[in-house]
Amino acid sequence: MTMADKITLSPAATASRRRKTTHGLLGTLPAVFFLVVFFVLPLIDNTFNSLETRAEDGGAIDNYMRLFTDSYYLEVILRTLWVSFLSTVLCIVIGYPVAYYMVRHVKGSGALLIFLLVAPLMTSIIMRTYGWQILLARNGPLSDWLMALGLIDRPLGLLRSPVSVYFGLVHILAPYMVISIASVLQTVDRRLEEASLVMGASRFETFRRITLPLSTSGIVTGSIIVFMLCNGSFLTMLLLGNGSVVTLPLLIYQQFVLVNDTGFAAAMGNVLLLLALICLYLQLRIVRGKGAA
Amino acid sequence: MPAILSNRKRPDTGLMVLRIFVAAFFIFLLAPILIVVLYSVSDAAYTVWPIQDLSLRWYERMIEYRPFLTSLGFSFKVAIWAAALSILIGVPAALALARSRSPLAEAVTTFLLAPLSMPMILLGVALLYYFSWMGLGVSQTGVILSHTVVSLPYIVRTVAAVYMNAGKGQEESAAILGANRVQVFVRVTLPMIRAGILAGGIFAMLISLDNLPISFFFAGPDTNTLPVVMLAYQQNQFDPAIAAISTTQMVIAIAMLLVVQRLTGLHHIIGQQR
Repeated sequence: MTMADKITLSPAATASRRRKTTHGLLGTLPAVFFLVVFFVLPLIDNTFNSLETRAEDGGAIDNYMRLFTDSYYLEVILRTLWVSFLSTVLCIVIGYPVAYYMVRHVKGSGALLIFLLVAPLMTSIIMRTYGWQILLARNGPLSDWLMALGLIDRPLGLLRSPVSVYFGLVHILAPYMVISIASVLQTVDRRLEEASLVMGASRFETFRRITLPLSTSGIVTGSIIVFMLCNGSFLTMLLLGNGSVVTLPLLIYQQFVLVNDTGFAAAMGNVLLLLALICLYLQLRIVRGKGAA
Repeated sequence: MPAILSNRKRPDTGLMVLRIFVAAFFIFLLAPILIVVLYSVSDAAYTVWPIQDLSLRWYERMIEYRPFLTSLGFSFKVAIWAAALSILIGVPAALALARSRSPLAEAVTTFLLAPLSMPMILLGVALLYYFSWMGLGVSQTGVILSHTVVSLPYIVRTVAAVYMNAGKGQEESAAILGANRVQVFVRVTLPMIRAGILAGGIFAMLISLDNLPISFFFAGPDTNTLPVVMLAYQQNQFDPAIAAISTTQMVIAIAMLLVVQRLTGLHHIIGQQR
């Protein structure tokens, strides 16, 4: 509250503010109640489900034992983390220059580029994967053009391989990274960069020692979002990977559709939940850290 | 500033490389979408490259194939219901959170936005079994309530951001000039946040229309949303009818997105991703 606010406040307004402080959160009750009933309780219910096993003599934590001792499932969990990690790194490497360009070199508000960045987020995942299926097909446009350019001498078989999965994932996730980095880069004082250049630092050095450190928080928040979204995605793996990249969400999907082992699917869901909660916790710590600075 | 001046005079190779990189990025971003649009007007019976002739036959097929249109109708029904429910419970929450000084406010905000951070597939599985246990199971009500869980955060976030930006000067002036609380709300607060409610509502609808990971689990004869039907079609048939329906859906989404941009700007919704 600024001084001006304090002065203009009438006693009545102060009283109403005090009332608002005490009853301040009453308005949130319906929403909180709704999420308790349709968000928290279903997740708790899911945890109960995860303790049920198909075997008659099964113990309560059998599903989890199976997940963490069977080398196949352990591999799937590690692969899930690895795919998310690699996608995040790819998004940083690809997204940073784009964000930098949008903030530093686009004149005006850059509304067109922002629109082009956000519009793909609004197209259905079916459309995007269908597009990649066409583009990456053995005799599709990409192979065609690369051959015409003389870069490859026979058609590429990228489809149904991990490469096509990464194409799909980065395509979906990179805009989030660009947006996160750009929103932080916007707040970096350009005079610091200019001062560094004036004092004789090269542009690369200026970037490495001034711009990059000042925009780290954008990279970190973007990475958490991308990592989190990637951990939960299965449609890209299903439609572009064709079984070449099996991650936890895809396995849940398969358990549900093919095997119908609901207890095991619920247990895998809880592992995903744990990962999501860790990401959420990190995100909150960072947001709060920023507030304190 | 000699260093900068001399930098500007030299032909800037660094900037050139950056420009090419950014152009390549946007081509990468748009290519898979544009190619689908292109195939939607092709004449080929399946996706062969290069395209020979153009025709609108896949749009005809799209209209003739009943599941596309009926599921599109149902998708809209779900989206509108989910957005309306989210507005009903989300707007009071956003208003309270934007002005609250309670130490709990931060925790409540986190809680209301938490569904955004959850893996959708987990929500889908969990909600399906929960609703089955309640006796709702695979029902239209189940789909609508599930979508509301993920729509609600967008309303809360957008309306709270708009309300916070508006400041409280006008409301206080009205109160000082003698307006009672109802009058302040109807004549001052509501007009201030109307654009935010509309933009958040449309965005919530977009999220719902596009949702597949939750809707998938509620698939049934009268609970199929458009993305669910599209997924089934894509897995079983290979003709470009899927391109036609995808393009149609995209045109609807972009029109709605343009409305959002005119109402509040996109940054309120996406800029503060957290």
